[in-house]
Amino acid sequence: MIGRVAGALVAVVTLALPAVLADSALAVYILLGLAAMVTVGVSLLMGYAGQVSLGQGAFYAIGAYTAALLALHGVPPVIGLVAAPVAAAGFALVIGVPLLRLRGHHLAFATLAMQLILLSLAGQLEFTGGDIGLQAIPQFSAGSFEAGSALAYAYLTWAGLALVMLVTRNVIRSRPGRALRALATSETAAASSGIPVGRYKLVVFALSAAFAGLAGGIYCFYTGYVAPGSFPVLISIQYIVMAVVGGLGTIWGAVAGAAAITLLVQGLNSLAALPGMPSYAPGVLSYAVYALVLVLVVLFLPRGLLPAVTGRLRRDRPPVETR
Amino acid sequence: MLELSGVSRSFGGVYAVRDVSLTVADGEVCGVIGPNGAGKSTLFNLITGHLPADHGRISFLGQRVDRLAPHRRAGLGMSIVFQAARVFRGMTVRENVMVGMHGRTGAGFVSAALRLPRHRRDEREITAETDAVLGRVGLAEWADRPAELLPIGQQRALQLARALCARPRLLLLDEPASGLRGQERERLAALVEELRADGLTILLIEHDVAFVTRLADRVVVLDLGRVIADGPPAEVRSDPLVLAAYLGQPS
Repeated sequence: MIGRVAGALVAVVTLALPAVLADSALAVYILLGLAAMVTVGVSLLMGYAGQVSLGQGAFYAIGAYTAALLALHGVPPVIGLVAAPVAAAGFALVIGVPLLRLRGHHLAFATLAMQLILLSLAGQLEFTGGDIGLQAIPQFSAGSFEAGSALAYAYLTWAGLALVMLVTRNVIRSRPGRALRALATSETAAASSGIPVGRYKLVVFALSAAFAGLAGGIYCFYTGYVAPGSFPVLISIQYIVMAVVGGLGTIWGAVAGAAAITLLVQGLNSLAALPGMPSYAPGVLSYAVYALVLVLVVLFLPRGLLPAVTGRLRRDRPPVETR
Repeated sequence: MLELSGVSRSFGGVYAVRDVSLTVADGEVCGVIGPNGAGKSTLFNLITGHLPADHGRISFLGQRVDRLAPHRRAGLGMSIVFQAARVFRGMTVRENVMVGMHGRTGAGFVSAALRLPRHRRDEREITAETDAVLGRVGLAEWADRPAELLPIGQQRALQLARALCARPRLLLLDEPASGLRGQERERLAALVEELRADGLTILLIEHDVAFVTRLADRVVVLDLGRVIADGPPAEVRSDPLVLAAYLGQPS
């Protein structure tokens, strides 16, 4: 009941916000939604299925480049937006076969390397526009609707986020979802319950890549250009920080983490841009803050922001039974 | 039902299991005992597929399985209760047991994401079976608790429930009594006796001789990776070779 009311409240606020936000705040709102979309995938992959990826930014980039290239070649943007998650998931399926044989930090480093290789390829190849990237990407449109304003992109982004959250929730509370959560604890015991562990890891890797790809697709239409510089390695680390800060293995935690970090970074950026600040202030502030936030959360809120808050709520209720 | 012939496995040149042949007949409770380091755990892992055998063949239900992955062997009807607590963390007791139904249902990611009829049908079936099995092993009132918070005896019962949910043809128990106290051990033994009465085929690998001789129809004794005795419990218990291996001295 409380969950329903809270959910309805969040939905109303989410829908009302774009209409009242100023343009600069609306841009933050869109980027927040896109980051949340990727982070939900990270939470699914890391929090539920126990696999680490430091390369989610690569799938974000694949989605963005796919949608951009298709749109620039005259393909309708709707098809480009559908192709973005499909291409990211397809790439994840291919690269996941060798990568997912690795575990823990080996897997993390391998996915990080994957992103570095892809970025350097995108910076070299002609059809991706090299370091300059792809520009003049047409606006997103579907039939007679054309997304000409930031407001339209805000709704598109948050509709995408709602879809991603719904799919994740449905998967988690189901036969394949329980299988993923089981293999996170023990692949041996999961396999002995008849779960094809390798195949399931591959599918969840592809699913999280699809979420990142969808976010990338929306991003390219919104900004109108993509370049390797839009997808630094730091972005992949940022998604993990968001997932951990919000609370791994909770869907709403991913959104809360994305919101907390995005707003924090925005605040620091405006702080660093104040007159009298040294030129290195933005870089130092953002890197230092990622590190500091991560350390503080791991030390004091090991389960993340959201579980810490809801856990407190639950503890405040009278005990139903004691034994 | 299960047949091993000439199965060997060595680690760094030392045989953990050497030329072991044994059969488990339909409806039989077969116990495997042996002192520490006899190769019991290795033998167990060879049967379940978590370790590949160097030599020999393993057949299950008339089919060769020694090259099959663990989840394929599970699919053929082998269910396992591990010695180490292998409860899935972050899941309730009920969800843990539900995982045991994986092989008997088929709803995949697409059915789940779109909440297709296939998903609903499977969830109904899984819930009904899980509730029945939870009641049978005495975990019904713990169903909605986090599984990792259960005491060890109940964790063992949970694993047994998960294994039973798969409706196994062969139930493999790895040191089920280890770490259990008197009452917990008694409850587990009663449960295994009940399963035996139902006609379930069970392979019981156990350190505790009293536990095995009470439950098993036939006992196989391992020592230093080899089978040194094979027969009814009473016979094996008085075998001088077994006494020497187990007690370290003839009595």
